Amino acid sequence: MTMSDAAAIDITALRKSFGAATALDGLDLRVAAGEVHGFLGPNGSGKTTTIRVLLGLLRADSGQVRMLGGDPWRDAVGLHRRLAYVPGDVTLWPGITGGEAIDLLGRLRGGLDRRRRDELLEEFDLDPRKKARTYSKGNRQKVALVAALASDAELLLLDEPTSGLDPLMESVFQRRIHEVKEQGRTVLLSSHILAEVEALCDRVSIIRLGRTVESGTLTELRHLTRTSIAVETTEAPRGIETLPGVHDLIVEDHHARFDVDTAQLGEVVRRLAPLGVRSMTSTPPTLEELFLRHYGDQERAAEKVAS
Amino acid sequence: MTGTLSLLRFLLRRERFGLPWWLLGASLLVLVQSTQSQSLYDTPEALARLRETIGGNSAVIAMSGPPRLLQSIGGEVVFEIFAFAAVVVALMNMFLVGRHTRADEESGRAELLRSARVGRHAPLAAALLLAGIADLAVGLLVVAVATGTGLPVAGSLLFGAALAATGLVFAALTAVATQVFENTRAAYGAVTLVLGAAYMLRAAGDVGDGTLSWASPIGWGQRAFPYAGDRWWPLLFPLATAVLLGAAAVRLLSRRDFGAGLVSPRPGRAGASAVLRNPSALAWRLQRGSLAGWAAGLGLLGVAYGSIGNSIEQYVRDNPEVAEFLPGGAADVLDSYLALTAVTAAVLAAAYGVSSVLRARAEETSGRAEAVLATATSRLSWLAGQLGVALAGSALTLVAYGLGVGVSYGLTVSDAGQVPRLVGVSLAYLPAVWLVVAAAVLALGWLPRLTAVLAWTVVAYCAVITLFADSFRLPAWSQQASPFAHTPEVPLDDPTITPLLTLTLTAAALVAAGYAGLRRRDIGA
Repeated sequence: MTMSDAAAIDITALRKSFGAATALDGLDLRVAAGEVHGFLGPNGSGKTTTIRVLLGLLRADSGQVRMLGGDPWRDAVGLHRRLAYVPGDVTLWPGITGGEAIDLLGRLRGGLDRRRRDELLEEFDLDPRKKARTYSKGNRQKVALVAALASDAELLLLDEPTSGLDPLMESVFQRRIHEVKEQGRTVLLSSHILAEVEALCDRVSIIRLGRTVESGTLTELRHLTRTSIAVETTEAPRGIETLPGVHDLIVEDHHARFDVDTAQLGEVVRRLAPLGVRSMTSTPPTLEELFLRHYGDQERAAEKVAS
Repeated sequence: MTGTLSLLRFLLRRERFGLPWWLLGASLLVLVQSTQSQSLYDTPEALARLRETIGGNSAVIAMSGPPRLLQSIGGEVVFEIFAFAAVVVALMNMFLVGRHTRADEESGRAELLRSARVGRHAPLAAALLLAGIADLAVGLLVVAVATGTGLPVAGSLLFGAALAATGLVFAALTAVATQVFENTRAAYGAVTLVLGAAYMLRAAGDVGDGTLSWASPIGWGQRAFPYAGDRWWPLLFPLATAVLLGAAAVRLLSRRDFGAGLVSPRPGRAGASAVLRNPSALAWRLQRGSLAGWAAGLGLLGVAYGSIGNSIEQYVRDNPEVAEFLPGGAADVLDSYLALTAVTAAVLAAAYGVSSVLRARAEETSGRAEAVLATATSRLSWLAGQLGVALAGSALTLVAYGLGVGVSYGLTVSDAGQVPRLVGVSLAYLPAVWLVVAAAVLALGWLPRLTAVLAWTVVAYCAVITLFADSFRLPAWSQQASPFAHTPEVPLDDPTITPLLTLTLTAAALVAAGYAGLRRRDIGA
């Protein structure tokens, strides 16, 4: 058993600064082999820098980085045969057609599946005969996606790969990633599109200011946040404020609304029962709330004040 | 047309750093030519001798202009410099108009502007006004420089006006080309082609009976004969052409969609050819066009230099002052001349090599190198691919130059043996050229952000030392710093292997050091 069987990516306490600016400040990231891992964080939080370190394009200042059982800086070429990469901002050679770029990148990586390449071109509705200078951002992204998805790489590093795609193409992308997952390959997916993350990812890591603030399955992460409860009782709802994990309680006659730490949900429901519950709705935290909690503490606070 | 004036102010601001260099370049050409000519041909007798030697030499006439200009010293200045200055001014106009019309449309900047209160024709009108202002400035500067160096006022006014009018033709021509073609490069290609044709037509006309010169915008300007008759009416041709082309551009603009051209680009290959499979093939594919351009340019330069080789001894006998500029003096005029021209070509080949290394840097800053280096491509093979083109390409440009000189000189003296001999002569400068390229690689490895500045400084330094060290009497140590000073001045000197080997090995060491830097630094830094 080697490391690669357990973890496709294993990063501990990674630091990287550019001059005075600190991009990564002790980042941890663990991606198990065969999973689709969501990599979330606001702009400038260090997602792209992390991926570039994984590609051996940037040299880590300190920390441990292992990928597919190797050292991304020292073993770059060998590791790159086993991965495919879609950059966040795809730039292509203006005078070279999309089809040529796809073939070139595939060959440089060590070959690509011709049949799948043609299928993907069809599905993504991309004209491979156009010079790259005439492509829109979305089309340049499709070129990189086709090149990556037509490979048999065991690891896909995707940096906001669908930010320029329309919903139709988004669904093509999701179907293809499901396929990749079924084949047991690993995906690191940096994304801002929450529905996409929710649909595709087994686990997610949320980073902020170059540090990992949360990592786990979506269920686990939900557990760490609060559920909103609205309840109507026969008895006057008294004593709720004393229950563990209850926040922002509003009581009007027999109605009560409050948020509860999801971990305490079971206990709270048990203690509500004696009050005679007539109706109850519980709203699990949305992914948006999950994000906002970590990304934008200030925005969230502002929202609270407003509401 | 709404918004034209606000746009024009904005364009002037965007050009505040670039445009002055063009104006400076054009003025310097006239300044240097005017002072040099007036000191070389300071007596009517000297001018008369020049008329005799040059007036009968079709190669020089083809390069310069109609010999009727040689009547006066001012006319001699126009004869020597007008065609070159016209090319510079035409290119300035091409870039000014292209950059602010089609290039902005391609990048999407124009879309943002057009969504504001800006009329359909405003960007084109503003760009043409900008070019007009630049041409006016060129004209005024030429008048100032020419009169300032002591040439008659009447001729100087016509000289400036002729140059400005030529510029206007190419501004308006670019305006048409940017309507026709969907991308800026194709538009530039078309305009450059017309510019080349204009040069060729007037060359053919000036050597022949002059008819063909009237088909060339450069010819119109020269045939105003500043200082040699002062005719203003030929300038009606460029002015009328500019107005017609400008009107055509406006018509075409009204008939096309935003972002579209009249000629849609041909579809390219749906898949890569079997050759395009490694970094070297990619680098070659990306750079072959510019390499072909440089090689053709140096080849033509060789033809031009070679064609006057045979008359150079006569010329120096008539103008002994010129011998000062030749490394071997008057004793060995022909070989001195061939050596000096070969060094000049070698500095240009080094400039090509540096521009090629800078393409590698551009690959990096644009993010395209990242895409390649994220595949199973090592930094070594990526650099080797890019550098291979720079090194082999600079050799190729030297061969092209040698062939040009060899063929044209060989024809004038009926000796085919000159071709291999002069190719050999120009290749003797290859190690020095490689050393300049290697210096650029060293900068790429260790000081990536400064690569362009450092590399061009080296080229400029070599150019100054090579071309002016003797005439400016620069100190010896400053010459020793140029790799070209360590190359035997073939064919004047005998080629010796030791300095060439030393230069090559030094270049190899610098490349290795540059790679060591590239290997350990961040990509995109």
